[in-house]
Amino acid sequence: MDKNRVTPERRKERLDRGIKVRTEGIYAIASWEEISYLVLPRLLLIVGLLLLPLLMPSLYWKRVISIVSIYALLALGFDFLAHFVGLVSLGGAFFVGTGGYIAAILNKAFGLSPTFTIPMATLAGAAICTLLLLPALPLRGVYFAIVTLMYPLVLARIIEALNILGGTDGILGVAGFPSRWIEQYLILLIIILALFGLRRLVNEDIGLVFRGVKDNDQAVRASGLSITFYKAIAVFIASGLGSLGGAYLSHIYMWSGISQFALDFSIIPIAATVIGGGGTLVGPLLGCFILVPVSELLRAFGTLRIVFYSLILMLFIMFRSEGIMVYAQRKYHQFERWVKV
Amino acid sequence: MLEIRGLMVFYENALAINNINLNCQGEKVTGVFGANSAGKSTLMYTISGIILDVKKKEEMKGGERITVLGSIAFDGMDITHMKPSERARRGIILCPERRRIFPESSTLENLKIGAYLATSIQAKKTLDYVFTIFPPLKNLKNREGGFLSGGEQQMLAIGRALMAQPKLLLLDEPLLGLSPLMEVMLARSIRDINAQTGISILITEQYARPILPIVHYGYILENGGAVLQGTSQELMENPDVKSAYFGL
Repeated sequence: MDKNRVTPERRKERLDRGIKVRTEGIYAIASWEEISYLVLPRLLLIVGLLLLPLLMPSLYWKRVISIVSIYALLALGFDFLAHFVGLVSLGGAFFVGTGGYIAAILNKAFGLSPTFTIPMATLAGAAICTLLLLPALPLRGVYFAIVTLMYPLVLARIIEALNILGGTDGILGVAGFPSRWIEQYLILLIIILALFGLRRLVNEDIGLVFRGVKDNDQAVRASGLSITFYKAIAVFIASGLGSLGGAYLSHIYMWSGISQFALDFSIIPIAATVIGGGGTLVGPLLGCFILVPVSELLRAFGTLRIVFYSLILMLFIMFRSEGIMVYAQRKYHQFERWVKV
Repeated sequence: MLEIRGLMVFYENALAINNINLNCQGEKVTGVFGANSAGKSTLMYTISGIILDVKKKEEMKGGERITVLGSIAFDGMDITHMKPSERARRGIILCPERRRIFPESSTLENLKIGAYLATSIQAKKTLDYVFTIFPPLKNLKNREGGFLSGGEQQMLAIGRALMAQPKLLLLDEPLLGLSPLMEVMLARSIRDINAQTGISILITEQYARPILPIVHYGYILENGGAVLQGTSQELMENPDVKSAYFGL
C-alpha cells in the first residue's frame, strides 16, 4: 500500500522510540513513564489472563479456557523448539498423550491425587519423550517432524491393538479437580510462568547456545559443544510443557484415552504460532486464545466450520504471515515518519 | 545500454547505495570495484531485480524494509519496477555471487537449465561456444555440479548465464575464492566472451588487479557511493587506485 506513496524524494523512516532505548539500561527506573512503558504490556497480559475465568458467561466457555491453556502450553513448546532451537516438532500429540496416560495411571493404580500426579507426569513424560526422541535428534527439518508425528500414531495403535491401558475405552474414573476455580487459575498461572520462564531462558547463556544450534549447528559443534545434548535439553523442556498439558487434560476430563494422541494437539499449536507470530513466545500464546475460541464459535456453522477455519488461516498466512505479535511489537517499539532523501 | 540515474537503496535506515549514476555501453566491459560493504552486490541485485523479491520476502515476515529510489533504464526502457524474470527475458542475466550452481544437477543439466529461455538452435550453438571457451567443462559433462572445484564451478556459472542469451551479462565477484592462476585465466575468458560475442558485461570485483586491464570503463565504489570513474587506463594511472588496489 505504501509502495504507491513513495515518491522519488521521500521514504518512510522507521526508528526506535526514545523511550524504548531509555528503558534498555538502568534508566528504566528513571521515571514512572519509563517504568510503565516496560510494565504495562506485561501487566495487561497477566491481568487479562487472570480476568478471563471471571468474564466467561457459561460453564461451557469456562471449560474452553482450560483447553485453550493446554494448547497454549503446546504452542509455547512448539515456538521454543522451532524458532529458538531449530527443531520443527509435530509432537504435540505425543507429549500430551504420554503425559495424560502417565497421570491417569498414577492416579488409578497408586491412588495419588492430582497434586502429585501432575508434577510426576510432567517429569516422567518429559523423560520418556526425550528418551524416545533421542535417536531422532541428529535429524533436522522435515525428518525430525516426521519422526515426532509418527510416535503418537504408533502409540495410539499399540494401545488399541494390544488392548492395554484400557484399550479403546481409555482409563475411566480419573480424579478431577476439587473446584472449577482451582482448575482454571492453576493452569493460567502455569502458562504465565511458562511464558516468562521461557523468555528468560532464551536470553540466558544456554539460550544463546540454543540459537546457535538453530543458526549453524556445525559452528556450535566446532566450538566444542555437543549439539545432541543441548537439543535433548530443549526437547525435555518442550515435552515437559506438553506432558504437563496432557496430565492436566486427563484430570479435567477425568478420563484418559487414545484421543489424547489426536493430531489436533500437533496442528493447532502450529497454526497459533503462525497467527501469533513465531519467535516471540507470547505470540503463539495469544494465537491460541484467538484460534481455539474462534473454532468454538464457528461450531454454529456445523460441518462448514472447518472450511471457514481453514479459510481464515490461509488468508492470514498469505497476507499477514509475520504474525500479530511481530507487528504489534514493531508498532510499540518503533515509529515511522517520512523523510526527504 | 544500461542507464542508472540517482539510484539509492536503503536497508531499513542503512544506506547501501548512495545516489549512483552508472552507464553501461553496448558491447563493452564495465567494471565496478570496491571493498566489502561498498554496495557492489546490492547494485547487482538491484539491476537484476532480485532485490524486489528480497523486499517482498522481508515484508511478509515483517523484517527490514528495503527502499529503492531512482531509475534504471535498459535499452531506453524504464525497468525500475520490472520483475526479475521479465528482466532476464529482456536480456539482463545475473551470474550470482558464490556461483549458486545447482549442486545435484550435472554440468550439462546446469547449462541446459540456463537455456530455458533460448530456442533449441540458440542453445545448441551456445553450448558449443561454452565448451570452446571453457574446455575443462567438456570432460566434466556428467559430473554433479556440487562435486566441481571452485574454478570449474565459476566457469559453469558463467556458462549457465551465457546459455540464457544475455544482452547484458552481470558478473558478481567472479573471482571469489580462486587461485591467482585461475583469476588470470577467467579474466582472459571474460575478455574473450566480450570480444567474440559482443555481449555487454558488467562486472563487480574486489580484486581489481586482474580485472582492471580488461574493462573498458570502470567505477570505484566506496561506502555506497561512486567516488571515481574513468577508462581502464585512467583508473590504472590514478595514484589512489594504485595504492588501494595495486599496493604500489
